[in-house]
Amino acid sequence: MIPAFNKIYIILGKHDNENLEWVLRTLSFLYSYVNLTSNIYLVSENLPDSMPQVERIQKNINEFLSENLFARLYVHIVHPTPQPAMNGITLCYQYLKQSTDKFDQEGYIHQELPRLISLPVLVPDDECKPTQLIDLLNVLKNSFLLPSLYLNKDTLNLAKDEKLLSLTDKVYYGIGNSRKMTDVVYNLFCQDIIDDSLDKLENNDLSMTDPCPDSLIISAQNCNVYSCMEAFLKNESLAKIYGIHSLEELLAHYYKQDKSKRDCLGCREKVIGSSVDLPKSLDTNQKTGALLYHFGMLRQESEDDFQAVKNFKQSLELSPIEETDPIYFRLGLGYTKIGQYDQALKAFNSVELGYQGQYFFHFYKGLCYFETGDYVTALEEFSKALQSETQHDDRIRILIYMGTCFNNLGNYEQAVGELEKAKETAGHVKEIYNTLGFSYFMIKDYDKSIENLKMAVEIDPFSAIDYASLGSNYREKGDLNTAIGMYEKALALDPGMTSVRENLERLKKL
Amino acid sequence: MNVLLIEINPFVQETTPISLGYIASFLKSKGFGVKILSIGQNTSLSRSAFHEIIHSFKPALVGFSAYQRIMLYIIGLAKFIKSIDNNIKIAIGGPQATFMPSAAFAELPDVDYICRSPGEITLLGIAQAIENGTPFLNLSGVSYKDDNDAVLDTPELEGYTDLDRYPSAYLNDVFDYSRMREAIMLTSRGCPHHCIYCYTPHAFKHKISYHSVERVIEEIRWIRKKGIKSLWFADPNISYKPSRLIEILDGILQEGIETEIWLQTRVDLVTPELLKKMKRAGVKTIAFGLESASERVLSRLGKHITLDKVAEAIRLAQKHGIEVELFTIYGLPYETFEDAVKTLEFVKKNKVKIMGNTNSQQLQIYFGTHMARHYEDYNIRPLNNNRPAYLSIGSQYETDHIGRNELHQIQQLWQANSIDGGKRIVS
Repeated sequence: MIPAFNKIYIILGKHDNENLEWVLRTLSFLYSYVNLTSNIYLVSENLPDSMPQVERIQKNINEFLSENLFARLYVHIVHPTPQPAMNGITLCYQYLKQSTDKFDQEGYIHQELPRLISLPVLVPDDECKPTQLIDLLNVLKNSFLLPSLYLNKDTLNLAKDEKLLSLTDKVYYGIGNSRKMTDVVYNLFCQDIIDDSLDKLENNDLSMTDPCPDSLIISAQNCNVYSCMEAFLKNESLAKIYGIHSLEELLAHYYKQDKSKRDCLGCREKVIGSSVDLPKSLDTNQKTGALLYHFGMLRQESEDDFQAVKNFKQSLELSPIEETDPIYFRLGLGYTKIGQYDQALKAFNSVELGYQGQYFFHFYKGLCYFETGDYVTALEEFSKALQSETQHDDRIRILIYMGTCFNNLGNYEQAVGELEKAKETAGHVKEIYNTLGFSYFMIKDYDKSIENLKMAVEIDPFSAIDYASLGSNYREKGDLNTAIGMYEKALALDPGMTSVRENLERLKKL
Repeated sequence: MNVLLIEINPFVQETTPISLGYIASFLKSKGFGVKILSIGQNTSLSRSAFHEIIHSFKPALVGFSAYQRIMLYIIGLAKFIKSIDNNIKIAIGGPQATFMPSAAFAELPDVDYICRSPGEITLLGIAQAIENGTPFLNLSGVSYKDDNDAVLDTPELEGYTDLDRYPSAYLNDVFDYSRMREAIMLTSRGCPHHCIYCYTPHAFKHKISYHSVERVIEEIRWIRKKGIKSLWFADPNISYKPSRLIEILDGILQEGIETEIWLQTRVDLVTPELLKKMKRAGVKTIAFGLESASERVLSRLGKHITLDKVAEAIRLAQKHGIEVELFTIYGLPYETFEDAVKTLEFVKKNKVKIMGNTNSQQLQIYFGTHMARHYEDYNIRPLNNNRPAYLSIGSQYETDHIGRNELHQIQQLWQANSIDGGKRIVS
C-alpha cells in the first residue's frame, strides 16, 4: 500500500539553515505521498521570527502546486498574537498574500476555490482584548485569508464577543491553559481525531481501531518525523522506532509494519473523553455521546469491560434521554461482566419499556439477582425471559439457572422440573446432569441422582465434584464399597477436597 | 487493452460515478479491461499511488468526466499521465465536453479527444481505434487532435433509444460496493422541456429514453442485496411518464424492498395518489425545480410552471410526509435584487428547510445551454472575456438588472438563512 497523508504538522524552531534544508528536503519527498487534497500546518512560537522559514516553505509549496495542477493544499499558519507583535504579524500576512496571489488568480479564472488556501490560526494570550484581534482579523478577511481562533481555558471569554466570532472562520478549543506550541498542536491534532471519529460514525465507517487521520509531525527543532501525536509526545520518532534514517525506507517500513501498531482506539477514547467538557453545540455533544457508545461496544466485543463501562457512563452524560435505553442496557451488561451486580441492576432498571419483553434483558437481570442471592426475583426475571422466543443455547442456560435458584431456595422438586425440561431440550450438558444430581439427592431419589451424575462424569471424566456426589449417593444407598471408590476417584482428581477426605475416612472406619 | 475512467471532484465527498459505470460496463462487454477511479475530497490517493495505478494497470486510454469546476484538475492529471507514458491517449466527455469549442484543444495540450455523443458508443469507437493501432481513423461523435496537432470534428453518433441495450453498471458489478453509501440510478435520460439555463434538453435533443421497469427493479434488487439502502434517482424528470413511475414504485412495494429514495421531478408531474405511493415505497425526499419566485422572471425561463403550482406540490408532498427540496437560482435574466429576495421568502414561507439542495446557487451559464448561445440577447455581460476556451461563462457575469456586488449579497443572504451554511449537493 502506498501512503497518502492527509495532514502534516511542521513545528518550526529557531532559524537554523541546516534544519530548514532538512525540512524542505523532507517536504519535497513527502509531496508524492500526500493526498490530492491535504493540509500542512506551520506552527511557530513567533511568526515574525519564523518568517524566513515560512517564506522558504511557502516557496517550496508553490513550486509543488505549480508542477501538479491536480493537487490542493490548505496551509494553516498557527502562531500566538502578542500585542507588541501585531504590526509584524500583519506585515507577514501581507507578504504571504503576495506570494500566493498567483493561485487566487488561477482560482478566479477557473471559478473555483484556489488550490492553495492559507488559513491563519491565531492563538491569543489571556491579556488579549477582542479589539486588538479585530484589526488583524479585518486585515486577514480583506485579503481573503480565513482566520481561525484557538482558545483555551484562559481565553475562552473571547468566544463571547460576537463581532470577533463573526470575523472568524472556525474556533478550535484546547484542553487546559497551556499556550506552548506543542500543546496547541496536540489540541489541534486532538480536534482532528474527534472530527475524524465523528465523520466515521456519521458515514457508518466504524473502523475506529484504525490509526487516526493519516498524519505526520515534523519537528524542525530536532529534524525528526513522528507518526502521530502520541508518538511525538513520547518522543518516539520513526527513526528511533525503526532504526532507519532514510525517509523513503522509513515510510516503506512504517506501512509494511501496519503503521505504528499503537493503541489507536485507546487514543481516540482518551481524546474524546477529555474533550467532553469543551464548548460544543448540542448536536456535537450528542454525536460525541453516540461515539462513546460505539467505543463501549468495541470494548465489550474485545472483552475489556472495565473500559466499556467507562465509555458507556460518559456516553450517558451526553446522549439525549430518548437514546439512553441501549446505553443503560450495555452499561448493565458491562457491570455484570465485571461482577458489579448492584450497579448492573441499577443500570438495567433505568432502561425504559423498549427492552421489556426482550428475553436477553430479563436473562441478564435474572443473572444479577441470582448473583446477589435474590433467587425469588431472579426466578421472576428468568420466567419472563422464557416467555419470549429465545435462542436454543440461552434457553438451556436459563433453565439451568432456574433449577439452581430452586435448589438454593430448597425447592428441589421444582428444580427437578426445570432441569428435566432443560435435559429434554439440550441432551448432553454437564451442568444439567450435576445440578439434577444434586436436586435428586436432596429429595433422596438416589437412583435418579446416580443416573444423572454418571452422565455428568461421562461428559467430563475429570469432574472431581461429581465423583464426590456419586460417593455420597452410594453412601446413602448403603453401597459403601462403591462409595469409597467414588470418593477415592474424587480425591485423586482433586486432593484438596477436605470434606470428601473426611467422608472417606469415616467410611473406611465403618 | 485497458481503459481507465476517472471522475474527480476534490470539493465534495466521493460519489458513485453512474455515467462512468455505464461506460465501463459497456466497454467490458466488448472485451476491454476497465477500471473506474472516483476521486473525492475524502479519497485517500497520493501522487505516488496514482502513479502506481497508471504503472500497474497500463491503460491505453484514460477518460475523464469533465465539469466546468474541475477542468484545472483534469489538465493536471492528464499532464501527469502523459509524463508517465506519452502513448496513453486522453479523452474528456460529459457535460463540459459535449459542447466545448474545439478551439479548447489549444489550451488542453494533453487531451486527445473531446467526446460529443453518448459516452458508451463514442468511447467504444475510440478504444477500438486505439486497439487497432489507428487512434484517429474512422471516428465519430468526437473532436480530436491528431499526432500533427491538427484538430478535426467528426459526425455525431446516435445513442440507443432503448437504454436496456446498455449493460447495467450495477448488475455487472463495476462499482466497489464496500465504499458506496448511496446508489445513484439513472432510469431515463434526457428531457423534452426548453428551460433556457439547462444543458440536458439540448444535449439529448429534447428527447427522453428509458430503461424498462423490469431492468430498474432488477438493479434495485441487486443494489439492496449488496447492502445499499439509499437510492438517488438522478433522472431529470422521473415522473414524466407517471404510469412508468407507478410501475417502478409498485415493483419496489411488491418485492418488499426496503429503501430510502431521493428523486427529482417537476411540480406539474405529481399528484396526491403518486405522492402517497412514493411515500409507501420509501421516497424520503423529493426535489422540485422552482428556480425563481418572481412570476415575471419565471415566465421567461421556458419552464412553464406557476408559483401556485409549486406551492401546491410542496404542500402535498409535505402532507404525505416527504421532505421537500427546492432548486432555486439567482442571477437569472431580468432578475433584480428584489426578485431574488422574493425567491428566498417563498422558500421560507412554504416551510422548506434551507439546507442541502435547497441552498440556492447563482445561475451557471454552461456550454450547450440556450443561455450560453444567446447570452447577449439577455443583456448578460461576461466579466472575464479572457477565460480559457475550455471554460464557459459560468457564474462570471453581470446583467442589466443585477451587478456583481448584489449577486454576492444574495449569496450571503442565502447563507445566513441556511441551516448547514450553504453546502449544496447537486450543482
